[in-house]
Amino acid sequence: MKKYIGKRVLTSLFTLLAILLVLFILMQLMPGSPFNDEKLNEEQRIALYTKYGLDQPIVVQFFKYVGNMLKGDLGVSYNISKNTPISQLIQTRLPISIRIGGCAVGLGAVVGLILGLIAALKHDTIWDSLATVISVIGVSVPSYVFALALSYNFGFKLGWFPMLFSQQDIFGSSVLPSVSLSMFTMASIARFTRSEMLEVLGSDYMLLAESKGISGAALIFRHALRNALIPIITVLAPLIVDLMTGSLVVEKIFAIPGVGSLLVTAIQSNDYNVVIALSFIYSAMYIGIMLVVDILYGVIDPRIRLAKKGD
Amino acid sequence: MDMGNTAAYVPVEADFKLKNNDGTVLIDENFAAQSFWKDVFIRYFKKISAVIGLILILLISVFAVIGPGMNEYTYSGQELSQKNFAPRIIALEKFGIFDGSETMHTTTGSKEINYYVEKGLTDLEYWFGSDNFGRDIWTRTWSGARVSLIIAVAAAIIDMVIGMSYGLISGYFGGRVDMIMQRILEIANGIPRLVIVTLLLLVLQPGMLTIIFALMLTEWVGMSRIARAEMLKLKEQEFVLASRTLGAGNFFIIFKEVLPNIIGPIITQVMFSIPTAIFTEAFLSFVGLGIPVPQCSLGSLISEGFNSFTTHPYQIIPPIVVMALLMLSFNLVADGLREALDPKMKEM
Amino acid sequence: MSMRSFTSKFFKEELIMKKAKAFLAVAMAATLTVGLTGCGGNADTSAPATADNAGTQAASADNSGAAPAETGAASASDLNIMLETPVQSLDPQQATDGTSFEVIANFTDGLMQMDKDGQAVNALAESYDLSEDGLTYTFHIREDANWSNGTPVTAADFVFAWQRAVDPNVASEYSYMLSDIGQIKNAAEIIAGEADKSELGVTAVDEKTLQVELNVPVSYFLSLMYFPTYYPVNEEFFTSCGDTYATSPETVLSNGAFVLDSYEPAATAFHLTKNNDYYDAANIQLAGLNYQVIQDSQQALMSYQTGALDTTLVNGEQVDQVKDDPEFMAIGAGYLWYVAPNIDAVEELKNLNIRLALTHAINRDSITTDVLKDGSAPTYTAVPMDFAAGPDGSDYSADQTKYADVCSYDADKALEYWNAGLAELGVSEITLDMVVDADDAPQKVAQVLKEQWETTLPGFTVNLVVEPKKQRVEDLQNGNFELGLTRWGPDYADPMTYLGMWITNNSNNYGLWSNAEYDAIIAECTTGDLCTDAQGRWERLYDAEKIVMDEAVIFPLYTQCNAVMMSSKVTGVDFHPVALNRVYKSAVKAE
Repeated sequence: MKKYIGKRVLTSLFTLLAILLVLFILMQLMPGSPFNDEKLNEEQRIALYTKYGLDQPIVVQFFKYVGNMLKGDLGVSYNISKNTPISQLIQTRLPISIRIGGCAVGLGAVVGLILGLIAALKHDTIWDSLATVISVIGVSVPSYVFALALSYNFGFKLGWFPMLFSQQDIFGSSVLPSVSLSMFTMASIARFTRSEMLEVLGSDYMLLAESKGISGAALIFRHALRNALIPIITVLAPLIVDLMTGSLVVEKIFAIPGVGSLLVTAIQSNDYNVVIALSFIYSAMYIGIMLVVDILYGVIDPRIRLAKKGD
Repeated sequence: MDMGNTAAYVPVEADFKLKNNDGTVLIDENFAAQSFWKDVFIRYFKKISAVIGLILILLISVFAVIGPGMNEYTYSGQELSQKNFAPRIIALEKFGIFDGSETMHTTTGSKEINYYVEKGLTDLEYWFGSDNFGRDIWTRTWSGARVSLIIAVAAAIIDMVIGMSYGLISGYFGGRVDMIMQRILEIANGIPRLVIVTLLLLVLQPGMLTIIFALMLTEWVGMSRIARAEMLKLKEQEFVLASRTLGAGNFFIIFKEVLPNIIGPIITQVMFSIPTAIFTEAFLSFVGLGIPVPQCSLGSLISEGFNSFTTHPYQIIPPIVVMALLMLSFNLVADGLREALDPKMKEM
Repeated sequence: MSMRSFTSKFFKEELIMKKAKAFLAVAMAATLTVGLTGCGGNADTSAPATADNAGTQAASADNSGAAPAETGAASASDLNIMLETPVQSLDPQQATDGTSFEVIANFTDGLMQMDKDGQAVNALAESYDLSEDGLTYTFHIREDANWSNGTPVTAADFVFAWQRAVDPNVASEYSYMLSDIGQIKNAAEIIAGEADKSELGVTAVDEKTLQVELNVPVSYFLSLMYFPTYYPVNEEFFTSCGDTYATSPETVLSNGAFVLDSYEPAATAFHLTKNNDYYDAANIQLAGLNYQVIQDSQQALMSYQTGALDTTLVNGEQVDQVKDDPEFMAIGAGYLWYVAPNIDAVEELKNLNIRLALTHAINRDSITTDVLKDGSAPTYTAVPMDFAAGPDGSDYSADQTKYADVCSYDADKALEYWNAGLAELGVSEITLDMVVDADDAPQKVAQVLKEQWETTLPGFTVNLVVEPKKQRVEDLQNGNFELGLTRWGPDYADPMTYLGMWITNNSNNYGLWSNAEYDAIIAECTTGDLCTDAQGRWERLYDAEKIVMDEAVIFPLYTQCNAVMMSSKVTGVDFHPVALNRVYKSAVKAE
């Protein structure tokens, strides 16, 4: 088992390094340069390239970057916030994105679970259809429209929640963005719970439990739900990464200083270092979570471990 | 429990009631007489929501084809003197709806405006209203639906071909091949999609083909995983062994023997990836990387109407409703298909 | 980033999961609770809580260091200002955008400042002397000018800052403000690496006296002194900050009306408080400035309506909603929007008749009144309106009919030119691409242009190529375009900021147009005989502009205005199209 975990961790590290290299190559493919303000002339551009070491061969840049990264230095931003160390830029933004994303995941998971349960227990009734429709409607409308509608009604018309993010009222001003973000999670969890529950409810051990006289809430929660819930981790894992690394749309509308909008601005303004740093954080979180999920499965289910060995 | 009472419990009839499963017990179907696909067909059409989804998709597709030609407007023709006209359908006017009037909520109070009356254009109709360039929203909505559908379906199908082949090959050969292919996949999956898509859209000429290509690049991973999982399940089975014994080559086994057996999950996955593609396209439009103006897709129409959300809400409603219906119905159809195709679901 | 396909995940996971039934429910519960406690522990949940709770949670978040030190909620007499884009840099020699300039100017004074009408008046300079030949300025810095750490503002601070501006190692984008535009001695040589930065023609005669030497007399030199590139930086403080200069309230020094007290790089909200040690503190009425970056214009307007903002920008679509409001106004932004034809590389656009046809087929009134609606003014001259006043104080481009015979809206004339041009080229159809920014306004304008051209000029097809702004700029600079919709903002209040662009080989002369006579006039007006003859220079500039218009080197469209809402409680905010767009020194907010 230890050997398996060790091997898995090593491959993950290797993958991360490969991702970093791919990112570097992608940045080279990016048309244009970070320094193409209309007021710059050619000499200044060359001076800037030299200043930031962008005139060196990509291999040199890559290894320099990896070296600096191991020392905790992610480079500086070229455009978004000129000359600012990226670690400083991200330091305050990442926690905000993680916090709001975390709330969205939590909220979405709970509501999705309830909807999925209702749909499964009342399978093929009007409740089932209703729960399905509700869970799909959340993702049928683009999130920016949804976010604006929420903001218009609950922020502007009713005045229940602040419309914009503020450091003074982190709790209140996170409500609307979290709700907007949670829709996607809610829908996926609801659908997943429903199908898993249906399968569990139809299984032989449920029949056994039922015939043993267990009924009602105990049957559903202790026996059915518990087993149906297990697979949800795999659905949740990538969602968590996605949400915690920030959403451009919601951040833009609610003026949240998170990392999602930062990435888009960075891409559009060719701010290479910021793109690489943020993408890398995303990749690291993604691969990390996948690794954890994989190892957990390996520990728990020998069949998967064996299957892996067979690969 | 009272220990003194030793009398044995006498079962009563109520203790032995049947589990409520008359539905499955009483119906005696002769499955052998039906082909698999006929069976699927019957199961699918038993599910009302799936049928509704299918009808909606057909309906929207029909409108996407004929809708833009149903009046005299074109999707790009501007008439700046007729901008921001509210929806008007003369036939419905007597019911007090679609009469071309709208209530403007200004900072200095609300007012009721009817541009048709104000400008004396009594015979003019914009069924869904006109946008801020005086273009007909009806025509634009359906041309947008057409573009979105083409993008989504094309992306999903190309996706399927690439992802499926990748997954099948990776799963079939296993070992080192699988290891390398899975690492490549992990790398592709580990890079934020936004980075890949935006980059691609910057490098290539913006347009429908580029968007299809970008969507394809990001969505094939899911498809390949399913194909690989199915392959791992099937490759040890007897029919594969039989085929190999008879001298079949690797690729014959992969594409002629295994593929037909996993077509069900694959089709379902395609159905699921179409709404995702529609949505991703909408997102790209919002970031400003969608279909180039003045062409339109549902996503770009929503982005355009977005800024008029609080001023002229009717401009954003038609594309949103069409998109929501499309998303919903593709999901319903996919659900229905999955249940119809999955033999285990049959019992329920 | 949240565009991952849940459907595909969902289906895939389901298949895999059928194998893994015996999973610990504990593990799942743990994952779920991570999501949930993650909220509670981090001072943020989506479920309602008591006000008490929320308060302590917010406080703990502040202590955790995740949030910057705040000075509490904005007080009533803070001015609440909306920004469209975040600040890019607070380093005066690195900043290049209007937002950064505005904020830097709030806490830093230069030698001069702008008065209400945009004229240069004394700020840190108490007085100045100009030598007979117009080549040497001597500035006397105020005795009571101090930095917020107590050290006095000295001439050395200016020398240090200006040397930074031209230092090739700093690579300041606005270094040309000192060389080409300011004509400071040796600036160009230092930028080119041919001289050491210590040779820059600026010296600290004594602690409070600064002497500047110029190559040629520069009529508008004083008005450059309020441009942030010319602002002072204290060397000792700068060195003590290391690489982090101007990235937090602790790493900037103030010598101006306000002090930065909450800021982080690219922040969406930050705050400045009145500087009580400012030499002119008695005349500063506001308690502070509270900035909020809002990218979505509808959110901005709604926030304004709830009173959370005192001023905000309004998008063209919302103008209908506010146009009758007395708090609504259109503020000149100085930008000239124009279409640049690639005269050098595109055969069809080499033809003068085709170019004249294109410029005559544009209905500029319709673009500004029907589409933009923000008060932008149709422009028929190569220099936009209302930013450069001549020797007699009148606007350079006040007369918009000056070139009416070569630039106006006239469909018949356009058609004549068009047919003549087609005949000369021997073709019946032309198809051209036009590159356009992916922003809202340019896309709208481009769509109207396309429609106007295609309906007026038979056989003409325009394809719009929409790109992010950076990419568009680069394509234009590399000549990789046919038509380009672009804009230019004035750097200083003189027509030369525009006319200087069309000389041969200027990097912003995208169409690579070249005219010897034009080059000669511009040279004469920048470094030649006319430098000191204000009236004569003015007349010559018109001659130059006429050549540009006659040859249809660009198709001017409109002078940009911003639609702004400004609370009726607020008075005294100065708006300028050049350098500093908004100045708050004399602003008053009634309670």
